[in-house]
Amino acid sequence: MSESYEYLFKFLVIGSAGTGKSSLLNNFIGNKFKEDRCHTIGVEFGSKIVNIGGKSTKLQIWDTAGQERFRSVTRSYYRGAAGALLVYDVTSRDSFNALANWLRDARTLASPNIVILLVGNKKDLEESREVTFTEASQFAQDNELMFLETSAKTGENVEEAFLKCSKTILAKIETGELDPERIGSGIQYGTGTSKRLGAPKRPTRTPSDCACRV
Amino acid sequence: MDFAEFIKQERLEEFPPAWIADVKGEFVFENENYQIKTEDLSIDYKDLIKEAKRLCIVCNKVFSNSYSYLVHNIDHLTIPLDKLNIEVPLQQNDSQKQQLHYSCVNMLTEEMDNRHGPPGVNSRSLTAAQSAAELEVLKEIENVYFTPPSEFNAARYALEHVPSYTNCDEIEQMFTKLKRQQQVVSGKALHLISQQRDNCDREFGEIQNIRQQLSETLSTCKKAREKLRSASNHLTISTFVILANVRKRQIIKSVLKSLDLLRSLRSVEKDVAELITKKQYFEAIELIMQSKKAASNNKEYKCIADLASRLQDTLDMTEEKLDSVLSSMCYNFDPIVFAKLKSAYDLLGKTQAAMEQLHMHYSSAVNESAFEAVKPFVDNVSMETKFQELCRSVPTTKAPLCLLNLCEKLFLVMRSYYLLVNWYSKHEESSMVTNVFDIEKNVSREYIKQKLKGGLIRIWNDVQGKVSTFLKSLGLEEYPFEKFIQMLGILRKLTQVAEVFCGDTSDLLRDFIKTQSVSYIKNYHKGRMEELKLFLENEGWEQCPVKSTFTLLNLQEFKQFKRYFKPKNDIGTSSQSSSSVHSLDNSVYISKYFNETTRTPFEMFRNENVTNDDIFGLEPESEVSEESDDEPEELKRDFVDDADVQNSPSKVAHSVIVTNTTLSVLRNCGQYLQITRYLPQIALEVIMLMNQLFDYYFFTVHLFFTSDLDVASSTLYTSKLNLLLKRISNIEDSFSSPSIPEHLEKTEANLHGLSERIVGVESIVFLAKQFEILQPYLESIVAQHQRMILEHFRDNTLAVVGDLRMPVYMASASKALDARSALIAMSQVRWDVKTVAEEHSAYVDMIVRKIQVFALRLENISQKITLNVDIVNAVWGMVAKFIVHLLVEGFSNASKCSNGGRGLMQLDYRQLFVKLEKISGLKPIPYQDYVDRYVKAYYLPRNELEEFVRDRVEYSNKHLIALITCACENKRDRQALSSAVEGREAAM
Ligand SMILES: Nc1nc2c(ncn2[C@@H]2O[C@H](COP(=O)(O)OP(=O)(O)O)[C@@H](O)[C@H]2O)c(=O)[nH]1
Ligand SMILES: [Mg+2]
Repeated sequence: MSESYEYLFKFLVIGSAGTGKSSLLNNFIGNKFKEDRCHTIGVEFGSKIVNIGGKSTKLQIWDTAGQERFRSVTRSYYRGAAGALLVYDVTSRDSFNALANWLRDARTLASPNIVILLVGNKKDLEESREVTFTEASQFAQDNELMFLETSAKTGENVEEAFLKCSKTILAKIETGELDPERIGSGIQYGTGTSKRLGAPKRPTRTPSDCACRV
Repeated sequence: MDFAEFIKQERLEEFPPAWIADVKGEFVFENENYQIKTEDLSIDYKDLIKEAKRLCIVCNKVFSNSYSYLVHNIDHLTIPLDKLNIEVPLQQNDSQKQQLHYSCVNMLTEEMDNRHGPPGVNSRSLTAAQSAAELEVLKEIENVYFTPPSEFNAARYALEHVPSYTNCDEIEQMFTKLKRQQQVVSGKALHLISQQRDNCDREFGEIQNIRQQLSETLSTCKKAREKLRSASNHLTISTFVILANVRKRQIIKSVLKSLDLLRSLRSVEKDVAELITKKQYFEAIELIMQSKKAASNNKEYKCIADLASRLQDTLDMTEEKLDSVLSSMCYNFDPIVFAKLKSAYDLLGKTQAAMEQLHMHYSSAVNESAFEAVKPFVDNVSMETKFQELCRSVPTTKAPLCLLNLCEKLFLVMRSYYLLVNWYSKHEESSMVTNVFDIEKNVSREYIKQKLKGGLIRIWNDVQGKVSTFLKSLGLEEYPFEKFIQMLGILRKLTQVAEVFCGDTSDLLRDFIKTQSVSYIKNYHKGRMEELKLFLENEGWEQCPVKSTFTLLNLQEFKQFKRYFKPKNDIGTSSQSSSSVHSLDNSVYISKYFNETTRTPFEMFRNENVTNDDIFGLEPESEVSEESDDEPEELKRDFVDDADVQNSPSKVAHSVIVTNTTLSVLRNCGQYLQITRYLPQIALEVIMLMNQLFDYYFFTVHLFFTSDLDVASSTLYTSKLNLLLKRISNIEDSFSSPSIPEHLEKTEANLHGLSERIVGVESIVFLAKQFEILQPYLESIVAQHQRMILEHFRDNTLAVVGDLRMPVYMASASKALDARSALIAMSQVRWDVKTVAEEHSAYVDMIVRKIQVFALRLENISQKITLNVDIVNAVWGMVAKFIVHLLVEGFSNASKCSNGGRGLMQLDYRQLFVKLEKISGLKPIPYQDYVDRYVKAYYLPRNELEEFVRDRVEYSNKHLIALITCACENKRDRQALSSAVEGREAAM
């Protein structure tokens, strides 16, 4: 908390329930893998400071519940996310099929420039794989997504997934494609930078123009 | 000669004492034992072989020295023959046989005597005549002729005796006479000879016989002597030689003994080293001491004098070795070795000094162990590095392991000391003596006892110091929770160890743990607060779909607390008793580790799978399985509501409105409570921080949803709510308040975000309920005197949050009802009518329409969120409240009012309330008194009106002035009452 950082990226982890989103986040922030993880209710949160291209960057990661009934609850967290991991389970065709929906949500609810990385999780369960690497690659290509296969259990590619996504965001900032100053970009200057986003103005309580007194 | 006598005589002369003195000169024997005991035996061999002529008295042989003489002498040893009978094997007659018992010697002597006897004449006779004549002749023979021829020459004699005149006859005569004489003599001789011949022959035979016997006897004697000699050779010489050899051996033995002593003195070093490797310290010291004594006793040997100083060196070295063994006791106390050491030191007379030394060793063992424990975790350690610096360079990731290592190493030293103390108390008791002479010993023993007792505390302080130094240089605040808890666990175990070790409650470490924990938890809390802020800022204020039976106990974080919320459980006593049982168990369990040799109480931390409960020795939650009986595990875990949201508010007995943030706060609370399980001593601090999460949530809901409240609020805020808001207003000092979200839609259609407002307020109400569920448990974990703090929070915060409904729902109600247009409509009504109207005014319908729209929109909201009666009533209550205020405001705008007007007013609001009742379901409509009382005050007599004006503070001055204006026709009264109203303000 006391650490300084130059950028703060807001991240989302989305995808169908049970694909391993929470496991990925927990692995990333250094918690132990649990075989029987409770379903996420609403959203959970994790943050981590990583070094990307020499810049220390704080990732503010929102892990959302994948179940349909939580869509309304999780929606508000999409807003202004700079990056998202779109997760499916390589052993579940259904989770792969649901990707299109998730993708649409992300593009409409979050910022249109959101950087999305497709994640095929549970790659350690090779024997029960239902989605091949190639077809997922194809999907990624078609939808202009980056793609990685990971395992939250073994930790393979987990950090890479977050870093890769962050790097792309940073690159886009540097090329000017993304403007951190724009409200809702999902990017903030951190404590370590001289340029600071002015504290969002608090709407001052305007004195009532109503003559009525309650 | 007698053998014994021989020895007696011979020894005396032959072995003079001088010889012994000589021996003494060379090898001095320590005691007389080494000397030959019998004085008689003091023979000097040297003397024996000295040149000195000796003569054998038996055989006259001469010898050059006594020794050869002595040896020769043995030849003459005779053995008494009294009893030795010699059988002579001769063919003799019986008379002779009688003489067989003659001793050889006697026999011989007799024979000899017989032989030497004088010769005799045999008297055997011839015929008488002849004999007479012959006898005559014989008589005439001069006697002289019988002289032996050697003395007498007969011829000469005859010649001499011839008469001097020589005459032939005479000569002839003489010749005849002589001739005759010679004839007689010859005859006689012949006669005698023939007469004696037989005798002679017989005697001769006898002689021959005797000779033969003699020669046989001689040879027998010779043989006997021969045999005797050889016998005496065998018996006597060898015995004597044996004797001589024994002596020699004794002498040589003593020489050997001296040599042995020398040799052993020379090999002392080696032997001592060997003994020490065999851990026979006592024997080693004993050996050195004895050697030293022997050396000083034998100073006259030059080589030994040198050795004495070497022995001192050996002693010094040995003491050093003992010391190093002693120091090794600090790491691994071995009672057997220590007992040996102690006896060695006792022997040295250094028991007390060794004790002092041992304590110094323990001190340095603590230092060394600490250093060694931390060293492997730091690169580039030089020997000069201070411990503190070393600790500072421990990488944070390795710190828990390092701490574990440190505690483990230090525990080994503590255990060793503990065993030492135990050993002493065991041994000293058994060897207590009351002997007066042992007073000094007892004093020393008492001293050691005190020393050991003090040592326990001292060592624990040293250990504490080390651990504190290590912890201080870490900056624990930044550690992940799990790691922190693990480290706390280690420290807690250490304090338990200390309790067993020296009965110390280790206040130092405990205080340290407490302050560290507090600062950790504060830092941790800061993080949670920042997270909470993020959550709140991103919160969509949508209802999270959870089951209507959802409580915080459904959250995994509270799994461990379930049993404390069982209603019938007497929490206070049960938790207390179980904890005391625990501490008892702990000490028994820890002391086991003190007596074991290979395991430490810390090793559990090395186990990857160890849970926090294990670490803190808490009971596993056995009740969980019990509970799962009431509800299948699956269901319990999935407390999320799958059923469609229920539509009708009236059907919902109690809805559970929670947000993501609510859940997040609850999860955090769960974590906080976990912390209190491990840190009961800071339970209150943790609870206060937990309450702060609540406060912040509450603060935010108030901030977010009343910021657009556009009505004056004096009666919307209960005094308790005001106090609460005032109390938590300073939360902004420590935590920046969340920025009011701009993403929330507030449109007329959604009743200006009423849905979000409801979720916001109801979620904090729910949260308050959850906190209340926790209260009994919280009370059980804080100290008695701290409970009132919790009670205060419950009464003044948790119980008050419902009051937030008013201002928040009012914000929506006021906006939805559009006061402006209503007031305009009211202002168009004429209140100074003479007659009472039959119809209510038009504005009433207008407001009713607004209410109807409101109801519709509220219905829409209830599609999204479960609204229970309380919520709905609260919302409608605000609508009613707004309406009554709106009405009073509108009525007070009437500058003139008749009795008929007052009646219309009543008609209007009655109509309104009837409609409102119908639409909202509220019965009766709350707050109607407000407008009712205001309108009816018009009818009050002057004095009562004055009272009304004075006391009814809920009406504004404007309202009251308007009332007075309408009610009082009398100008003076009007003025008096108006000033009363004004004065009222001043008084407030
Ligand atoms: N074998 C394997 N199991 C995984 C992996 N990631 C998650 N899981 C398991 O999949 C289940 C669902 O994981 P969770 O993180 O709750 O998924 P979420 O609903 O997307 O958050 C859990 O039981 C995890 O243990 C993975 O990489 N490999
Ligand atoms: Mg999840």
